[in-house]
Parts: sequence; C-alpha cells; structure tokens
Amino acid sequence: MNILICIKQVPDMESKFKINNEGSWYDRADLAWRMNEYDEYAVEQAVRLKEQVGDADLTVLCIGPDQVKETMKKALAMGCDRGVHVADNDAYQREPIEIASMIADFAKTKNFDIIFTGMQSQDRGSAQVGVMVAELLGIPAITTIVGFAFENGAVQVKRELEGGGKALVNTTTPVLLTCQLGLNTPRYPTLPNIMKAKKKELLTIAPDLSGLGARQETTAFYFPERKGGGIVLEGELPELAEKLIHLLKEKTGVLA
Amino acid sequence: MKTLLVAEFREGKLRVKYSQLLAFAKELPTEASMFLVGSTSDLPQFDGTLYLADVAKYGEYNPTVHKQLLLDVIAKEQPDRIVFHHSSYGWDLAPRIAVALKAAQISEVMALADGEPVVPVCNAKLRRKIKSQTARTVLTLQAGAFGMEEDPVGTPTVVPIDTEACKKVECKGYEAARIEGVDLTKSEIIVSAGRGVGKPENIAMVQALAKALGGEYGGSRPVVDAGWVEHDRQVGTTGRTVTPKLYVACGISGAIQHLAGMKKSDFIVAINTDKDAPIGEVADVFVVADLKQFLPILTEKLQSR
Amino acid sequence: MEFTREIYWNVGHGWTTLAPMYVLLLAALAVFVLGCLQRIKVYRLGQPLDRTDQRGERIKTLLGNVLLQTKVFRVPGAGTAHALFFWCFFTLFIGTSLIVAQADFTDLLFGVKFLKGTFYKFFSLILDLTGLVAIIMLGGLLVRRYLLRPEGLITKRDDALMHGLLLTILVTGFAIEGARMAVTELGTPLAAWSPVGLVVAKMLNGLGEAGLRALHLGLWWFHLLLALVFIAIIPFTKFRHILTTSANSFLADRGPTGKLTTINLEDESIEKFGASVLSDLRWKDIFDADACTLCKRCQDRCPAFATGKPLSPMQVISQIGETAFTNPAANLVDLVGREVIWACTTCLACQDICPASIEHVSKIIEMRRNLVLMEGEFPGEEVMTAMEQTEVNGNPLGMGYASRGDWAETLGIKTLAEDSAVDILYFVGCYASFDKRNIAVAKSFIKLCQAAGVKVGILGKEEKCCGEPMRKMGNEYLYQSLAMETVEIIKGYGIQKIVTTCPHCFNTLAKDYRDFDFPVEVQPHTVFLEQLISAGTLQINAEAFSCTYHDSCYLGRHNNLYEAPRNLIHTAGGNLTEMAKNRDQAFCCSAGGGRIMAEETIGERINVKRVRMAVETGAAQLLSNCPFCLTMFEDGVKGADVEAQLRPKDIAEILAERL
Repeated sequence: MNILICIKQVPDMESKFKINNEGSWYDRADLAWRMNEYDEYAVEQAVRLKEQVGDADLTVLCIGPDQVKETMKKALAMGCDRGVHVADNDAYQREPIEIASMIADFAKTKNFDIIFTGMQSQDRGSAQVGVMVAELLGIPAITTIVGFAFENGAVQVKRELEGGGKALVNTTTPVLLTCQLGLNTPRYPTLPNIMKAKKKELLTIAPDLSGLGARQETTAFYFPERKGGGIVLEGELPELAEKLIHLLKEKTGVLA
Repeated sequence: MKTLLVAEFREGKLRVKYSQLLAFAKELPTEASMFLVGSTSDLPQFDGTLYLADVAKYGEYNPTVHKQLLLDVIAKEQPDRIVFHHSSYGWDLAPRIAVALKAAQISEVMALADGEPVVPVCNAKLRRKIKSQTARTVLTLQAGAFGMEEDPVGTPTVVPIDTEACKKVECKGYEAARIEGVDLTKSEIIVSAGRGVGKPENIAMVQALAKALGGEYGGSRPVVDAGWVEHDRQVGTTGRTVTPKLYVACGISGAIQHLAGMKKSDFIVAINTDKDAPIGEVADVFVVADLKQFLPILTEKLQSR
Repeated sequence: MEFTREIYWNVGHGWTTLAPMYVLLLAALAVFVLGCLQRIKVYRLGQPLDRTDQRGERIKTLLGNVLLQTKVFRVPGAGTAHALFFWCFFTLFIGTSLIVAQADFTDLLFGVKFLKGTFYKFFSLILDLTGLVAIIMLGGLLVRRYLLRPEGLITKRDDALMHGLLLTILVTGFAIEGARMAVTELGTPLAAWSPVGLVVAKMLNGLGEAGLRALHLGLWWFHLLLALVFIAIIPFTKFRHILTTSANSFLADRGPTGKLTTINLEDESIEKFGASVLSDLRWKDIFDADACTLCKRCQDRCPAFATGKPLSPMQVISQIGETAFTNPAANLVDLVGREVIWACTTCLACQDICPASIEHVSKIIEMRRNLVLMEGEFPGEEVMTAMEQTEVNGNPLGMGYASRGDWAETLGIKTLAEDSAVDILYFVGCYASFDKRNIAVAKSFIKLCQAAGVKVGILGKEEKCCGEPMRKMGNEYLYQSLAMETVEIIKGYGIQKIVTTCPHCFNTLAKDYRDFDFPVEVQPHTVFLEQLISAGTLQINAEAFSCTYHDSCYLGRHNNLYEAPRNLIHTAGGNLTEMAKNRDQAFCCSAGGGRIMAEETIGERINVKRVRMAVETGAAQLLSNCPFCLTMFEDGVKGADVEAQLRPKDIAEILAERL
C-alpha cells in the first residue's frame, strides 16, 4: 500500500502571538513550533495501518521553510518511511487552495491508496485543504474521522458529529481522510526509532508555484478586544448578581 | 447580491440551526434562497425558494451526490455567495464547491465587520478580516455566531431537484453519543467547583447554578481528588481541557494546571473572595464574593427570569 | 593449678579425631565453594561494572560497616541486638580459631601452647560472656520475628533454619563446656572464669562421669557437624549475607549520591535502552539481591509504600533476585509491575538507610528507561503530554517559552543576553518561572540578592528545563538534549557561579551536568544566602515566628544539606519545632522522580500525609526550599483541610520579609 500523510508545522498555541509588520499574519519570531495536533492523529493512524498490513510505504509531506524538517523528523520517528519537504518560505501566506494544489501536484503521479491529513490546522483552521486535495485528485474524501478500520481495500470510518454522535461511513481506496482529535492516541517516538529517523530519506522539492493565484485577501489581522476587559465586580450580592446576568446577556450568546 | 444557504438534515430531522443561516443573510442586503437534501415533511420556515432533494433517495451524508445537486442549483440560481454551517456536514461539502467554482472559501465566519467576514485564527486568540477576490464566494458560519431573536417564520417555495451522480461512499448509519460519563469538552456552559466550596454539601449550589444556566458542572483537581465531584468532570491538565462559551469558576484559585484546562473558554467568570487569585488573569468578569452566599442568589435570579 | 584446658579432652587426640574432622571440614568447604560458584555464575548474567577503584577507601568502608556495624546501628532496637549478636558470634569465631590454631597447628607441630595462664582465664571468661549475650540477642531477635511480628517483615523457612541452627550451636557449645567442666573443673579456681559453663556443669553433675563423658563426646561431634553444616549452607541460605552484605560495603556506589548512569547516546551500536530482562542489569544489581537480608528498613521508609502504593523497594530487590535464580529470561517490567515502577519518587530513603548498601533506585530507573525509550510508555497520558510540551516549549507546564523571563520584568534585573557581566546566574527553573506561587519565591530571592548588592542575571527565554524530571522518568534522550543545550548556553556566557532555588535543578547542574564538561560552581539558594549573611553583606532583622522545616529529598539525602536552611531559619528568628521524621528520615513530598508531572492515583496522598506530620508539630508555618515541595504542600494543606492552621512557605520568603 502506498500512503501519504500531509502534515503542517504550526506554532504552539500557548505562545504569545504578535502581529507581523505587514499586518496580515502573526509574527513568526519567538514562537515554539510543533506538528499540527490534528496531523499527529493522521500520522499515528497511518503508522498503525502499516503495522496492520505490513506491506505499506508511508510518505510524510510538509510544506514550508527549512525549519519544518524538525517536525517531519518526528513523523519519521513515529514510523513514516520517507519524507517530502516542499520548500516554500511563503507557505504561511498561502491560501488553502494553493496549499492543496501543491500537494495534489506532488500526489497526482504517485497513486496513493490512502491520504491521511488532519481535519484542520491549529493556526489557520480553515478545514479546507484536505477536501480540496481530494477534489483536485478526483478521489473521494471523508472528513472528521474518529474511527478507522481497514480490510482488503475496504475502508470503514466513523465521522464525529455535533453533539458527540458518530456516522458510520464505508468506502474503498483510493480515499482521502481528514482526522479529528481522539481518532487514536499518537505514540511517543521510541529512542531506536528516533535514531532510525535520522537516516530516513527526507527529500526537499521545489513546488511549481506557477498557476497559483490568490482568491482572497486578508484586510485586517488583530487581537480581539477582551470581552468585558476583566471587569471586577464588588459590592452587595443581589446587585452583583444582576450586573453579572446583564454582562452575560450582553457579552455571550448564553442567556437568551 | 444573491445568497444560497445550505441547510442540513440529520437522523431524519431538519437541523433547526438553519435559522442562523437566515440571520446571517439578514445582515447583508441580499436575496436568499436555500438548498437542502431533506424531506417535505420537515421544511424550514422562511419565505423564499427552497431547492429540495429527497433525502430518502440521496442520503444524509453523500458528498459527491450532494455536491452535484448543489452545483446544479448554483448553475441555475447563480448566487454570489454560498453559505454553509461550519459543521461536520458543512466543512465536508463546502471545499468541494469552492474547488468546482474556483471560488474563494472563507471558513468559520464569526462576524461581519463593515460587511467583511471575520474569522478566528490560532484557537481564537486572533481575528482575521477577509475580502474575497472571486466573483463567487463560499462561506461557512461559526456555530452560534449568528442568531435570530425569534423563531423563523414563513413558507418556502419548494423546487424539487434530482441528479444522476453516483455515490462514492456509503453511510451505514449512526452511533449515539456515549451516555455514561459526561464529556465536558462538548459542553458550551460549564460551572466549576474549586476548593473554595469548602464542603461536599456545597457542590449542590454549583450544580444548581449549572442547571439554571443550562450547562454542566465540573470541578478542579482538589475537589475531584476529595471525591466531591466525579473524575470525568475534572477540568485541568490531568482532567479535561474545555472550551465552552461560558466558564464559571467558583472558588477556584487558578493554579496553572487548572488554567491550562479552561483558559480557552470564550467567556470566563470567576467567583472568589481572593481578589489576587491567579484565575483573575484569565477572567473576563471577577466577582469578589463568597460563593456560598453568592451562588444561591445568582441561581435564584436566573431561575426567575 | 595451671590455667588451661586440654583441647580434645575426651574426644581423642590424633588421627581418630583429626582425620574425620578435616575430611568433614573439606567436604563442608567443597559444598560451600560450589554453592558460591553457582551463585557467581548467576551474578555474571548481568552487565560488567568496575567497583574496584579507590580500594583503600572501599576497604575502610567495609571494615567500618562490618566491624563497627555502623549502618546496622542506624535503627536501634533490632539494630543493637544484631550488632551485639554479630560481635559475640565473631568473638566466638575468633576464639574457636585460636583453639584450632593451637590444637591443630602450633601445639601439634611445634609444641607451642598459648591458651594458658592469665590469657586463658580472660579468653574463657570473654567467650563465656559473649556466648551468653549471643544467645540472649538471638533469643531477642527470635522473639521479635516470631512473637512480636513487626508489620511488613517477611519470614521464610530459611529464617527458622538460621535461628534454630545458630541457637543449637550456641546451646550445645555451653552443654559441651558444662559436661567437660563437670568432670575436669568443678571445685577448681579456674571454674569461676567460665561462669556460664559453671552453671551448666552444676546442672549436669548428676549424670556421673561416665554419663558426662558420653554426653560430651556426642555433643562435641554434633556441635562440630552443625558448625560445618553452617559453613556449608552459607551460600544456600540468608547466611550468605555474612559474605554478600559485607562485600556490598566494598562494592558500594561511591559516586555522587543518587547519580544515574549516563547512556552514551552517541554509540550507534546500542540498540536497547534500559532494562527489560535480567541480563540488561549490571551484575551488581543481581548481587544486591543476595546482599539483601529482607530487613525491611527500606520498605519502612518508602513514602510510596507508606501510602498504599504497591512499591516496596525490598520486594523489587527480592523479585530481581528470585528471577535471577529461577527464571532469568523473564520480563522484569511485567514481573515487578508498572504501577510499582512508576510509584518511586527517588527520595533515596531506601538507599540511605540500607545496611547492605543496595542500590534500589537505579534499577527502577533502568526499567523506566526501558518503558519510555523502547516502548514510548509513561505512567499516564498527562506525563506524555508534559514530555511533549517540554520538547516544544522547554518546560513541562506547556507555557510559551518566550515568556519565561516575564516574571522578572519589573525587578530591575536583566537577562544574560542583555548583560552577561553578573555575579551569579540565577537558574530559575520551570516552576519559579511560570507558577504564580513559586514566582513569589523567585521574587523574594531577587530581593535578597539586591539587598546584598549581588548582581543577578537570568537566562530568561533562553532558559529551558534542566531535564531532571524527564531523566528520572526514564527519558534519557530528552534529558540529554536539554542538558547539552543548557550547558552550551551557560558556558557561552562564561558564567562562573550559578545559584538555584530548586534543589532538583541544583542537584542536576551540580552532579548530572558534570558528564558534559560543565565545571561551573552551583549552589542552592539556602547555602548562598547563608554565605551572604555570614559575610555580613545581607542583613536580616530577626522577627520571631513559629515554624517547622521540611528537608527536601534533593537537598537532604541527595546532598547532605541539613544545617544551612536551619541556620537561616534561626537567623530569621524562627522558633523551629522539628517533625518526628526530619533530616535523613524526612518523608518525601511526593513530587520527586519526575512525579511532579504525574497524577497520584493509588492509595493515600503522600503530600497530605506529610502535611499532617507538620500539623502535629503545632507550628504555624511549614518551611521548605523547593518549588516541588511548596507546590505539594499548598495542595496538601487544602487536602488536609488545614489551610487556616498551617502556611507553606519558602525560606527565601521568610528572609525577604525580614530585610
């Protein structure tokens, strides 16, 4: 089996963000970087699939500047066989359709049986790239999986629905699946695998940037004003209760 | 400007949140029609055109077929905007439309600022205002970001639609959500008890407030360890990490391990006698009061509204 | 009369006695040697380890522990009984050796006798008294084991055999003496010099000479047989501890206290990390099991065992020993059990008290290394998350690394990147950088330094976790990555002296980091502050307060630092009421061994138990000087519901309040 896992390197969400000079994105300096959390589940599921079928080759792909290779090494240490780094220093600016095009460009000649991706990225969070890749490749896609089973080309997944219920969906390969948190428990790389990962193939390729065109523009990028701005309420309890209820009505959608 | 709204049908019923789509449409000067793979027995209530495909024929989740049905309607209606819910149905279908139309897709719109959509970035720590540069735009709306004051009324003009497209996936059915144990990560309103409640008997106050607000109750580590609150209701690094719309921390000091589990909540209210408690650093509102006295008063006022 | 006795009286001189005697002796020795070889073969299943360096020091330690019974004495009661028993039995052994020396060598070959005259009188008296004391002590130990039955003490058939055999040897010894004296010494002035024998002689006198001689002869051979059996069965019973426990004093770990072995991660040929089977352990780890006498002193002091966790250091050692001799291919992790392996806080109470110099902790850490490095397994998801957060942000709390120095913003100190010409680098540590309660301690420390005119620098966002909790959890790889980065950064700034407010950071930088060519001086803040006060650069206005003091494991048992904090408390005006378990007997707060990252899910909470001990002192404040202890005690006073009675505080805070 030929399997592709698309991952993204994102900043750790605990970081203190600043706006960049262009006012279009967050400033990339002084941030700690890690694998997009949703992608960890994708990598883990691919590795488990390989453990199950035995004869499978896992390619992990990531788009971005040189620093994303650190994150790719983690995917290799978790069990991917090879890495493809699509070198693009402006990846952070690209729209989902551009990212999807770059991935589809790479994948279109490779005949992957299954493509695993995270259902969205923790920074941009557009939840578009996965499905767009499938559309560009002309293969089916199923999003938000929290369950996965494979048997002789038959794929059975569980989609997570609002409210916690799940939908059971079956299909066959080739297929693209976007993974939701809780699909599995991503493994911690063992030391022998970390050592082996250092020797695995990690190719850097240049993307074909022609034909990409922006379809949207960021007109503003800012911090939301803290709703309420940290109001301190002190005084007589009945009054405080009234004030609080009023604030909840005003500032949240919680009280009708 | 024409807007096509995409409503959802699940487990035999129309999803009532379609009113949010209508509310959004109202914010723009626009002519709105609606698309639904559903049933004539459960129609949305609005005055306008409803393009209806039979869910019995085409299934509730069937992306390739729904996509074709929708593209056919788009070809006919020529909307400038196609609006979905940002949901397991919406984010699955919308990108397919965006690719087919070569249109910009703007996901999880949470507000309109000067007519332009605003979306959250980086776990909602930041905001981005986006301008589409394509003639047609696909949008998905954040759950609950837009709402109507009253229930929608009206009678749609139903236009039936069909397609020959084949399905590529098979939806076999549904699995109900786990009932044993509460999953606070899915709760929109959480009221949590901390050490400040003092005694196990006082947990009832916290539960009552949670109920009055229509939410769930949780607890910080010390009260769970003490056995006053069940383990699956623990909020914190070694319990659940929650992101509700409203988090009320009662008698919780805000030790790092707890903060990590709830600071991404949309709106945080802290009730504590200690003005300097670290919870104050993340609280939108800090009520300096003894929860044992304040909670009953607050609950009563909520219940009598 | 001549003050001597006829050796071999009544038994017979010459070959009729010597031949069988020495044949039996050779047989006994042969069995003994075979037994030892059998055991040595099993020790050799373990990895090599050289413990023959510093020979002079090692011999001194051996002699001290064996002859003076120093470690045995640390627990009075049973310790005193054993020490006395040992000295008496040892004396009897010397006595018997002297008899053999004269009877079978000096007298037989050269006609030289020395067991006569005044020497013999005292010889006889001493042996009689030591024999009596030996019997009394042995009786006491027997009563303790079989009647008093201390909780947790494991008694096996082996023990009955040992008590029985030794008691019989001792009693028959007196019986033989009594029978002989009844015939040869009653009524002579010599008799008084063997008082116990005299009493026995009088009791046996009624048997008449023929009867006495028969009794004497029979008992003599019986006694000889038992003594030879004793020798022969040494390797097969707990008697082996005479050799193994003694040897362990020589073979003990003389390295920096508590220091773990450092895996050479550059060695690409190493495919396995940590211990999952017996042969992964060192030979010494197998030998430790043979040195163990199941005295349970380790178990008695283990905070995990005391609160219902399944960890008993004694059991771990025992299990390793048992599997070594019965099923060496067994999986150690399954055998010992994961809950046991993860429960250890590395407080070192076990190793500190162990009279047999056994190394308990390193075995547990090796098994943890196997679980983490080979299986990617942790005690819980929360620990895996903490490890991952450390990889991403350099701290297990998951706080953004860029804000690590923010706590110091308004204090007028700079990061080394801004100004590296400092008197000391304050290595803040993860908790004091990010946790509000511990930031207060860091601020107090800065206040004190500034009052003393000390120029302090911090690394700020360049500082990462020292790696200690990760290392103790078994994640040697993550620890070494952090350590090497930290060493490089600090050396890059040319720092000469580092002070920390965290004993774990202190211990790690001062000991573990030396593996990475790191010669910088490191001090814990209590030692540093004490020096400032002694030098007169820091003035503290004493203001009386009531308190008790908790000795952190990583300052106390790991580094022998008990007095500096107490001096500071005294200087501050503290009225210190010690807890019953203080200094080397202090009871861990539960957060060591990397467990600060983990949830405590089994049994009673260790921190609450310790807080209750503090409450018993009646003190108003519980002082410590460790961020883990402080965090545990803040949690603990809530858990024990004593927030109003007992305030946990760091010594730095107390001093800063008194500037």
